[in-house]
Amino acid sequence: MTIRQQTDALRGSLDLLILKTLSLVPMHGWGITLRIQQMSEGILDVNLGSLYPALQRLEKNGLIASDWGTTDNNRRARYYRLTAAGRRALGQELDSWKRFTTGLDAVLRST
Amino acid sequence: MLHHARAAIARIRELFRARSHSAVEQNDEFSFHIEMETAENVRRGMNEADARRAALLRFGGTQRWAEETQSARGVIALDNLARDARFAFRRLHRAPAFAAGVIATLGIGLGAAIGIGTIVYDVLLRDLPYESPDQLVRVGFITDGIGISGDMHSPATYFHFAKSARSFTELGAYWTSDDFNVTDGDAPERVTVALMTPNTFTLLGVRSLVGKLFEPGDTSWSNVRNAILISESFWRRRYGADPSIVGRRIDINRGARNVIGVVPRSFDFPTPAVDIFYPAPVPVKTAQITARGFNVIGRLRDGIDPRVAAAELNALIPSLAERFPAITPDMLQRSRARVSVESLKSATVASVRPQLVLLGVLVAVVLLIATTNVVNLFLLRTERASQEIAIALSLGATRLAVAERFVIEGIVLGVASAIVALPAAALALSTKFGFTAREIPRLHEVSFTWETAALVLGCATLIGAAVGLIALTRTGLGGLFDRLRASRPTSSRTWRRAQNGLVAFQVAIALVLLVAAGLLGRSFWNLRNAKIGFEPRNAMTFQVSLPWNGYRSYADAAVFHAKIVDRLAALPGVTSIGVALRVPLAGRGGSSLDLQLQAGDGEGRPTVASAGNMASADYFGVMGIPLRAGRSFRSGDLRGTPAVIISELLAKNVFGTTDVIGRTIKQSRVGSQPMSFTIVGVVGDVHWERIEDGYAPMLYFPLQRDGDGLPSDRSAVPGRPMDVQFVIRGTQLPSTPTIQETVKELDRRIPPTNIRTLGSLVDAATARVRLTMLLIAIAGIAALLLGVIGVYSVVAYTATSRVREFGIRLALGAAPTRVGGLVLGDGLKLVGIGIVAGLAAALGTTRFLRALLYEVKPTSIAEFGSATALLVIVTVCATLIPARRAARTHPAVALRAE
Amino acid sequence: MAKPTTNEQVLQGTLDLLILKTLSLTPMHGWGLTHRIEQLSQDALQVGQGSIYPALVRLEQRGWIDTEWRITENSRRAKYYRLTAAGRRALGQELASWNRFVSAVGLVIAAES
Repeated sequence: MTIRQQTDALRGSLDLLILKTLSLVPMHGWGITLRIQQMSEGILDVNLGSLYPALQRLEKNGLIASDWGTTDNNRRARYYRLTAAGRRALGQELDSWKRFTTGLDAVLRST
Repeated sequence: MLHHARAAIARIRELFRARSHSAVEQNDEFSFHIEMETAENVRRGMNEADARRAALLRFGGTQRWAEETQSARGVIALDNLARDARFAFRRLHRAPAFAAGVIATLGIGLGAAIGIGTIVYDVLLRDLPYESPDQLVRVGFITDGIGISGDMHSPATYFHFAKSARSFTELGAYWTSDDFNVTDGDAPERVTVALMTPNTFTLLGVRSLVGKLFEPGDTSWSNVRNAILISESFWRRRYGADPSIVGRRIDINRGARNVIGVVPRSFDFPTPAVDIFYPAPVPVKTAQITARGFNVIGRLRDGIDPRVAAAELNALIPSLAERFPAITPDMLQRSRARVSVESLKSATVASVRPQLVLLGVLVAVVLLIATTNVVNLFLLRTERASQEIAIALSLGATRLAVAERFVIEGIVLGVASAIVALPAAALALSTKFGFTAREIPRLHEVSFTWETAALVLGCATLIGAAVGLIALTRTGLGGLFDRLRASRPTSSRTWRRAQNGLVAFQVAIALVLLVAAGLLGRSFWNLRNAKIGFEPRNAMTFQVSLPWNGYRSYADAAVFHAKIVDRLAALPGVTSIGVALRVPLAGRGGSSLDLQLQAGDGEGRPTVASAGNMASADYFGVMGIPLRAGRSFRSGDLRGTPAVIISELLAKNVFGTTDVIGRTIKQSRVGSQPMSFTIVGVVGDVHWERIEDGYAPMLYFPLQRDGDGLPSDRSAVPGRPMDVQFVIRGTQLPSTPTIQETVKELDRRIPPTNIRTLGSLVDAATARVRLTMLLIAIAGIAALLLGVIGVYSVVAYTATSRVREFGIRLALGAAPTRVGGLVLGDGLKLVGIGIVAGLAAALGTTRFLRALLYEVKPTSIAEFGSATALLVIVTVCATLIPARRAARTHPAVALRAE
Repeated sequence: MAKPTTNEQVLQGTLDLLILKTLSLTPMHGWGLTHRIEQLSQDALQVGQGSIYPALVRLEQRGWIDTEWRITENSRRAKYYRLTAAGRRALGQELASWNRFVSAVGLVIAAES
């Protein structure tokens, strides 16, 4: 896939990935990208330029909330966590994703 | 040039039309889509209007998609281009030898080609810079029946044609002269004057820069205006562009004249060297056709062909006799008088056309060779890169993409070579290869303009792209793909043969040029070391031309010269001074052996032609011309039977021996009594005009300081010393200003000219050979380099395509040297053919150099041998590299590579 | 226009892939393509059906698809798109790429800690 397409696809699934990551443990933005990378065994590389707008949007829609905290190297950073509404949304996104990929799979496997 | 630009613009316009065409297509596509969606909606049950509205909604903004599609097209294309260029750079960076080879070859070849091509174009093809230049012609009057050469007119013929001919709107006449000195102000100056009938200016369509042009009445002798025009460069140089130049009186040795105007610099007729224009009279007092000195030009009437005009003028010839009874019909017939009408452009460049055409052909050949070499280099590289390409193809690259890559690489190299070609062309055009307007007419019109630069860049890019394409078609992408499966030489037989042929051709040309360079080199060496018969070191010369006013007799002139000698002798460092009519190698054009001599007692024996000179007593000593017998001149030698000194060669030619002191020698003259002279001395021989012509038999008359007191109406010897050369020898030679001062103090009107050292005379005498030698040497080295690159690339290419065969041989146990030997053998065969062809060509063509060769035979073994040896050594070295690589082939790698 | 949902964006990213796959079965014109994709994926291209055209142009520039004007059954003139050999090769790679992506997201989703 071209870089642009991968970015599109990634951006599209970014909400899902963020919500899922935060569902495990609250963390700051940088940690989120790191975690996603780890969990996907290095395949998914989110760039911070698309991460932060997504975080802001999710926060505005009340799906996540943030607080200031201190990192391991004693720096101040904004920590994000899932809200109750966010937990519900995660479930919806998961369903939606499963439906989507199944549907797409069907297309891609068709002869 | 203009129509090229127009074609390019048309092509770009087509591109835009294609764009708008695609916009129409897109509209069609979108409309189709929306109609289909509408139909679908209708099928689902909507009504027509709702269906359409829903379809449009579903589609999204048409404008937006149209824009995005267009930009997708453009952006992708640009993206691809940029990416390809980047990749091309990277690849070339990894192959510096290849890149350097191509850039050098193409750069130098293109630069030289365009430099020379521009010269050829500007001189031969471009229109003259006058109004409606295709109507301008030169009218020649030819009378080869009475042994007069050239095509000049006499006043009578010009007058006749000017009055009677209908085919021309104007006929003008002109001639030039160097015999004028401008004597106003501080520094007298010898100027070039063009005498032109007033209508010549209107004929050519020139307007004055300042002031006015001639009026028809200006040519009459009694005209009180005494008008002259001066050139712009003369005006700026001598009068500092003085705005009040109009009406100014200028003192000229032929009589003061008034300046009525200045002619612009762009007007360089008949030559750019002209400083002053005189209105030319056409004196028909004595009507004749034998003394002819007018050049005639004319402007044809609209629609008249030169041949028609020539026919009319030829028909007018018989009526010459009617107008001028002194010209008889019988004479017209005997002289085979006829007229030629030739375009002025043709006539101006006729003298150099064959050489320039030859040069043009040579340049085309050089460019062809350079391009072929570059193609070969590309092919060679492609062979090596073929694996890379095949993999790229299998990974999904389209053929178009790979093709683009070739072409872009070619273009990148092309543009890079333009960076080399531009300064090369600029250099060629600014130095003009050392030629001057004297050797090549119209040369001053040649220059390096931004159009030339654009041409260089354009050609370089085009050639680069073409080379990429050619290399591409030769490899054939289909074939490349096959290489992954089976091995087969990808180049066809004819292509291989063409390649070999071209390389052999290059080798042959290189050989011819090297032989020629060798021959000329040795000639040059011989010339420099020739025994010129005098001592050029520590000596200088200058010329003095006396005006008619004040120097009517031999004695007057001699006395003046003596005064100069005395003044100069008083300068520190000056050892001795001599005076003579001419110095050797001064080359004033046309060697004239115009004395007919005989031994005093040799009645009935044929006369011997000889050169004549006049020399002061000290002349021989100053020049270093050895006195073989007798003495130099002394006072009293003009009395009685005047004394003369002769050269050894003359002595042998007339008397058969050099023991001739005291004998008499007679000069026969047409239409008068022969004169007798007594020989008092014999001197060593010197050259006359050119070293190549050998020694000239020379007779020296005495140039006595005081005229020996003879009455001024008696001339003991032929001629008066009006134009003489002074020769000064010393430990410290006077500077130019000193000499000018000295002469000026004696007579304000006289400028000393041609102030130079004797050494520079020798240099000038060898200059022509030297220049040609340098040019051919440069061409030879260039050809050698190209040839070497050519040999290398072809041999390497062939070797690479045989790599599988080599692998098999090596795997089967052949010695590596054997494999290397195969490649070497290939190369040697190629070189051998080239050398044989080159030798044959050289043997056939070096005879054309005969005019330039001095004491060297055109078939001299030494040069042929050494050139051949050099070529063989260099090309064999070039072949060794691929041979070694072949020998070191790893069998496994070679077999796997296929 | 409302902000595209998650899936629509992903769909845009996979548009090229979908086009290649659909064309690999049979050549089609632009509308046919959108129709089929919407059919199979059961998801509308909310961004607009017209978004397929820039994608088609990009694929054509790459040399992965070919175009040809033809007459349809209803005697209308339409521009048909067809997969090229290079496009076929590319399809395989794009598919592999997509599968990697999906599995990667799957890994993230399935993570327990």
